[in-house]
Amino acid sequence: MGANELLSWARGPGFDIALIIFVGGMLLRLLEILALGKKPDLSPPRGSGPKGGVETILTRMLPRKSIFDKEPLRIINGYVLHIGFFTVLFLYGPHIVLFESFLGFGWPALPSGMIDAASAITIVSLGVALALRLNNKVVRFLSTKDDYIAWAITLLPVLTGYMAYNHLVASYTMMLALHLLSVELLMVLAPFTKLTHMFSFAMARWYQGYQAGRRGVES
Amino acid sequence: MSISNDSEFRKALDGLGLEQQREVGSLFVKSVLELSDDPRVAQSLQAATDSEIGDAALSLARRTIKAASLDAHARCGADGEWTDQAGYFVARAAEACLEPEGRSGSKGPAWKAAMSARMARTCLAAASEEDSHDVESQAQYQILTSYLDA
Amino acid sequence: MSAPSVEKGIQAIKAQIDAPVASFFSACVHCGLCAEACLFYTETGDPKYTPINKVEPMRRIWEREYTLLGKAKAALGLAKDVDEGTFTEWETLVYDGCSLCGRCSLVCPVGNDISGMIRKIREGFAAAGHAPEGLIGASKRAVEIGSPMGVKLPAVQAQIKHLRKNTGLDVPIDAKGAEYLVLLSSMEIMNFPEYLEAIARIMHQAGKTWTIASKAFEATNSGVQIGVSDIAKLLVSRVVDAADELGVKTVISPECGHAFTAIRWDGANLIGRPYGFEVKHILEVLDEFVSQGLIKTEGGEDAKLTYHDPCQIARKGGVVKQPRNLLNRIATNFVEMEDAGEMNWCCGGGGGVSANERADEVKLTAFNRKKSQLQALGVDTLVTACANCRLVLEEGLEENEMDIPIVGLTEMLAEYLVEDKPRPEVKEEA
Repeated sequence: MGANELLSWARGPGFDIALIIFVGGMLLRLLEILALGKKPDLSPPRGSGPKGGVETILTRMLPRKSIFDKEPLRIINGYVLHIGFFTVLFLYGPHIVLFESFLGFGWPALPSGMIDAASAITIVSLGVALALRLNNKVVRFLSTKDDYIAWAITLLPVLTGYMAYNHLVASYTMMLALHLLSVELLMVLAPFTKLTHMFSFAMARWYQGYQAGRRGVES
Repeated sequence: MSISNDSEFRKALDGLGLEQQREVGSLFVKSVLELSDDPRVAQSLQAATDSEIGDAALSLARRTIKAASLDAHARCGADGEWTDQAGYFVARAAEACLEPEGRSGSKGPAWKAAMSARMARTCLAAASEEDSHDVESQAQYQILTSYLDA
Repeated sequence: MSAPSVEKGIQAIKAQIDAPVASFFSACVHCGLCAEACLFYTETGDPKYTPINKVEPMRRIWEREYTLLGKAKAALGLAKDVDEGTFTEWETLVYDGCSLCGRCSLVCPVGNDISGMIRKIREGFAAAGHAPEGLIGASKRAVEIGSPMGVKLPAVQAQIKHLRKNTGLDVPIDAKGAEYLVLLSSMEIMNFPEYLEAIARIMHQAGKTWTIASKAFEATNSGVQIGVSDIAKLLVSRVVDAADELGVKTVISPECGHAFTAIRWDGANLIGRPYGFEVKHILEVLDEFVSQGLIKTEGGEDAKLTYHDPCQIARKGGVVKQPRNLLNRIATNFVEMEDAGEMNWCCGGGGGVSANERADEVKLTAFNRKKSQLQALGVDTLVTACANCRLVLEEGLEENEMDIPIVGLTEMLAEYLVEDKPRPEVKEEA
């Protein structure tokens, strides 16, 4: 298959399939969680559950000092990775055009040069993340194939995108095709890896925060 | 001088200096010594009443009696034996005799030792439902009276 | 408890999995930060104590039972099993190496309540016959005798007599219509009877009516520690029934960590209905009395001291300011340890650990965390508000040859209490 055919497929049927699997898969995972339900708490509350839930979604974005002091590099790298990834995903012109075609509205883009830098930083950050995973005895102990697969499928789109933009390795058409295919791979596999955390993090924070808010305890 | 109730008892004790409190306290402990089977208790009483004792030896005695009382305490969730628990309070009474100056707060080591000694006797009451508490406080009034008269 | 089995254990764990648990497992990204919050990991350096690892058997059951992906993996023979070996391997992680302190839950970046999950997984371990002997014994005694340590009412009555002789104050038993029902922990009854005396003096001074219940004087809930909700429910019901029968307004939980969690948060859910009374921790009540001017203190301790926050009372109970309000009135040199308050470190012996002889060694190792906190401060006295913490700390200090006396906060407050209400004359009985 030539680069052009690959690209066509990736832009067309490939993307459609991936999108269906991504949306369907994530919805399935969410429903699997919600279907289990939660018993109401009959103990007398001290405060508000919903307030605690919302607050915790926000406050858990920042680490506690005692933990940050122990693992500053890992925590900072986590921020760099996520911020970099989202910057590239949501603030790159051509990406925004794609979103606009689905949502009916767009938003301002960052200059491509900045996005390029952000991608590079993200790639480095992903490299650091892997090194940290392999070098820390707790994280290494916890890691499963899922962690490494999730890492790889997150890296590939950023890497191929960077390569495409900078005309590296293969022709632009081919790199673009590979970029799209790697995105589709990510979309297809994400609901079946720990990448579900992109949605479930809010649920976890909400549930714990809700209970804490109700009890009037720290969360 | 006769002591027939706790407020007189407490007042008389409060009037004593540290060394005297330790001596009297030791007598209170001796009165319930048979409720403990730990030899460290008697040893610590010797340290408590030794006015010539050096700092290092005193320190060691304190650590020893502290260890004795910890060993004797009822572990959380374990089947509590009140007769063993009596030993715990005897050790605590001995601990009080050895406390550094000022640590007892307003209570004074002799009073603390007396209370723990009575509690040791109460443990027997807890185990056997007989009322031996009075016996100990009466005995203590007697001990203090004899000590003051001497 | 009926005959345990692996199958029962698995079913019990399955029953504990709800939407929050599923969201926690879905959100976990294996970042490992929970380990850095856990004193069993930080002091042993052994990654198996990583909190999220402690609930791995539950994760396997969740994946296989409640996710399509998991079912598919199981069908293909790719899923990890949960069998006798799993329960054996994880038993010491779930019981010996965890005090349910809750620090991990507070630091998880995605918001997982890991310690909540560990509490839940204990239901399965107990049902599978994999709970520690000490806890099984304690639970049995709690159910059959009314106290995990076998304390019976006559013993309490003997102590009440001792109290009356010493102070002239009586401890009402089964007084109908009293405002407060006071619960006691066996640990306090056996090891720290000063607590009861302090309560009696404070209540008398505050002019409040109170009582203990002959059928439910015990606060400690072994069911919560071992993780058998049926037992927890039975024990709580005794208190609830007594409180209802006596018509009290407020039940006071004593200086015991898990007792508060059990009666304040778990109780209503265990019995399946809201209470008809309030539940407060003794420190909450004391703080109220002081701020309402019902009791006053005079003088104080000038030794350099600090406060150890019992996990269930501070982090999980929300009673953080009150002990500090009280201490600031009776201590002139009160310094805080690092991480004081909600993020304070566990003594290492909560959640049933101190009742489990097999855990003695790891508990002492975990104590090194508290040791570092104390050494950094250089205090003369340590104040706390949990009888279990007190003994665990005393043992740890003794093991490390640190001479720091420990005092209970209620007892300390009573020492500086202004007592100007007349007491009944101490009569010498013939």
